Amino acid sequence: MSASVASALLRFRGLVKTTASGKRLLDIAELAIPAGACILLSGRNGAGKTTLLKIIAGLDPPERASVEYDGAAAPWHEARRRYRRAVIYLHQQPYLFDCSVAANVGYGLRGNALGRAEIAARVEQALATSDLSHLATRNARELSGGERQRVALARALVLAPRLLLLDEPLANLDEEARARTCTLIAELKARGVAVVLTSHERLSLSALTHYHYELDDGRIALLPPSSDASTMDARGSVAAFDKASRRRGRAGRGTKTTVDDR
Amino acid sequence: MGDLGAAGKQAFALLFSGDPELWGIIGVSFRVSLLAVAIIAPIALIAAFALAYVRFPGRRPVVSTVHSLQAIPAVCVGLAVYLLLTRNGPLGDWRLLFTQSAMVIGQMVLGFPLLLALGHSALQAADRRAWETARTLGASPWRAMWTVMREVRFGLLAAVIAAFARVIAEVGASLMLGGNIDHVTRNIPTAIALETSRGEYAQGIALGLVLFVLALSLNFTLNLLHGKGEMR
Repeated sequence: MSASVASALLRFRGLVKTTASGKRLLDIAELAIPAGACILLSGRNGAGKTTLLKIIAGLDPPERASVEYDGAAAPWHEARRRYRRAVIYLHQQPYLFDCSVAANVGYGLRGNALGRAEIAARVEQALATSDLSHLATRNARELSGGERQRVALARALVLAPRLLLLDEPLANLDEEARARTCTLIAELKARGVAVVLTSHERLSLSALTHYHYELDDGRIALLPPSSDASTMDARGSVAAFDKASRRRGRAGRGTKTTVDDR
Repeated sequence: MGDLGAAGKQAFALLFSGDPELWGIIGVSFRVSLLAVAIIAPIALIAAFALAYVRFPGRRPVVSTVHSLQAIPAVCVGLAVYLLLTRNGPLGDWRLLFTQSAMVIGQMVLGFPLLLALGHSALQAADRRAWETARTLGASPWRAMWTVMREVRFGLLAAVIAAFARVIAEVGASLMLGGNIDHVTRNIPTAIALETSRGEYAQGIALGLVLFVLALSLNFTLNLLHGKGEMR
């Protein structure tokens, strides 16, 4: 149920997250994100995919978690200070600030100690790479869904993150925008940027991803890399294994677990 | 009736001839109220942000209290601050009673809960993703706060204007704390309330018109801003 990856960019251990009502949403023994890896995170609606991404991003505090970044381990609250700048989270529907596209793309850069000219140059280049130059002066709120996502991606990539967390990047997009996004994910992969993305649709993304994790009942399981037909079988057996081990663990700890309520 | 007609004409004459007495009173009103709002605005808006975004024990009771305090009567604020500033009061040594400073303090106390409550409502309605996006793009908490405030700027501006409209039109606190002293603490509402009773109809009407037009245009601006806030 835990994935052991030798050298990880980020590694979470003993991650526990409880909902406001006291239900245990996530209980992850270990989650490793190797540098440059492209990871698909799947799971049912409400399985906690978004929450997990936000915890990884340093946005949403878990009850407990130890985080290893570049080899040094620390509790989440301390570790996130060090790694936050290396990790960027993108919402399922990206939020663009109420200003021009160029100002949106330059947002993160303006927090760094960069000169105006330097920022303008980098923004211009990022816009050109993402094919957004013609929209530079438009208010970001006036854009279409696909354009918004490209702006959000450009705004993230201009900061040269080491890990990008994409929440349902293919949802709510038309065919053309989906194709563009897939191409972009492939490019990120080629550039060595680690990506964790969530999706209901394994099929369209499994070709792009190195690893496939599945969230189920708060636990995470690494599914073996294989063709989609056999993945189905593997999924079944891993889930069965996980269920069995969970039952053992519960009996051993004697804790009251409410995950079955869902 | 003839008297009133004459007073009306005289009122317009006062307004448009630039009568120094009249415009002096208007000046006191604006100086005091603008200063009061300028002092409380940053504090109230940061507190409003904390109330909307920081989880702390007892947050809900604090929010309800703040929203209830909007209804505090001006004359009660006047009384409370009067008791603080009076010679024998705890702050009597400051010798502030019947000065513009006392009026500013009264209007600050009066405007603060209103600005805090309206600011909180505006920030509460802001999209959570704005904060998360700012933070994940590397913004410090202060910069992220500023970004969220920028996103709901129309709502926050509306809150500031509403607070200004409330304090510039109130009589109770200004009367008790300023004392309607000619050329010093006489502002529009106290002049209307007291000078009219002494038969100075023309001045009362002129000042009433100024306050009326001011209130109308502030409310008109508020409506425009609310429209703008909803559009986005």
